[in-house]
Amino acid sequence: MSDTRTCAPVDKLEIKRLLRARKSMMKLYLSHCVRCSLCAESCFLFMTNDQDPKYMPSYKVIQSVGKLYKKRGNVDRVFLEKIKKIVWKNCVLCRRCYCPIGVDIPAMIAFARGVCRSQGVYPDFDEQGAAESWL
Amino acid sequence: MVDFVRGPMVWIAFGVFFVGLAWQGFRFFKLTRKKSLVHTQVWPQASSGRKKKTRWIEAFSAFLETAEKKYRASVFATHPIMIGVTVVFHVCLFVTPIFLLAHNSMLENSIGFGLPSLPEALGDFLTLLVLSCGLFFLLRRLFVRRVRAITGWSDWGAFGLTLAPFVSGFLAYHQWFDYRTVLFAHIVLGELMLISIPFTKLGHMIFFFFYRFFLAGEYSFGQGRRMW
Repeated sequence: MSDTRTCAPVDKLEIKRLLRARKSMMKLYLSHCVRCSLCAESCFLFMTNDQDPKYMPSYKVIQSVGKLYKKRGNVDRVFLEKIKKIVWKNCVLCRRCYCPIGVDIPAMIAFARGVCRSQGVYPDFDEQGAAESWL
Repeated sequence: MVDFVRGPMVWIAFGVFFVGLAWQGFRFFKLTRKKSLVHTQVWPQASSGRKKKTRWIEAFSAFLETAEKKYRASVFATHPIMIGVTVVFHVCLFVTPIFLLAHNSMLENSIGFGLPSLPEALGDFLTLLVLSCGLFFLLRRLFVRRVRAITGWSDWGAFGLTLAPFVSGFLAYHQWFDYRTVLFAHIVLGELMLISIPFTKLGHMIFFFFYRFFLAGEYSFGQGRRMW
């Protein structure tokens, strides 16, 4: 089951449809993030991983939703696999991230997860559990 | 060219600024809707019976305790310097150009009405304060790893657009370099900043209030009666 899921071509039309459906909200949020990094401390993964910037909520949003919109949905499975790592492994969606401007970071991460899931890209805890640690 | 930039272009810039902000506001309210009852969290109401009278000293100490807890959990406690600089920067960003003597005398000459003005020396000091805060942001963006990791071209653009009118204004006031050229640059850069506010990252000027006051959420100030 896993092989068919990971080898199937990406349905770009579906990705574009999903991106279009939330475009106004996501684009507004992306454009109003002033990259101040004040959200960093609100993420426990950032705090417990030597304050590595890749765990910052804003970094995760820019690298996932930001890139999806930048590429206008023209992405391949390799790209979605990268996003999978960002939005599942580097974020547990605990909703504790705080943005001084008011950007709804969890909504954006959840949206990126939705786009990945629409293409069958999501963590397979049962099969990969032994090979890859998610925590 | 110079006459156009000093004359009609100023009004065009102000027009785009105000119409752009109004349009963004309209867009926000069109994109969001009123929170329905389903999404309304019902908090337990205080009992309707006779309330126990609390002494004001108890109420005040309870207030202080809550305020301290909130402070400790906020960005004010985690980044006191950054927040302090940000607040000073944003206050001066508004106060300086609006109440600057030179701007208000021009306004009075032009339409016969001007706002109250700050003393020249204070205006100069506030400009320096804005530039110093800008220097702090610049150093932060260049040398703090986590900020550098998320900085893109649009951030440098917003940074430049915001500070360029202040740099050129400071140079023009002190008449360093060729006064006419610097003044022309100051006017053009100020107009560019005004025009770009509603359509760029600088739009957080108005969207900060939309996001934090109107949208429902855990971190919203006030009621937050709208949702996407």
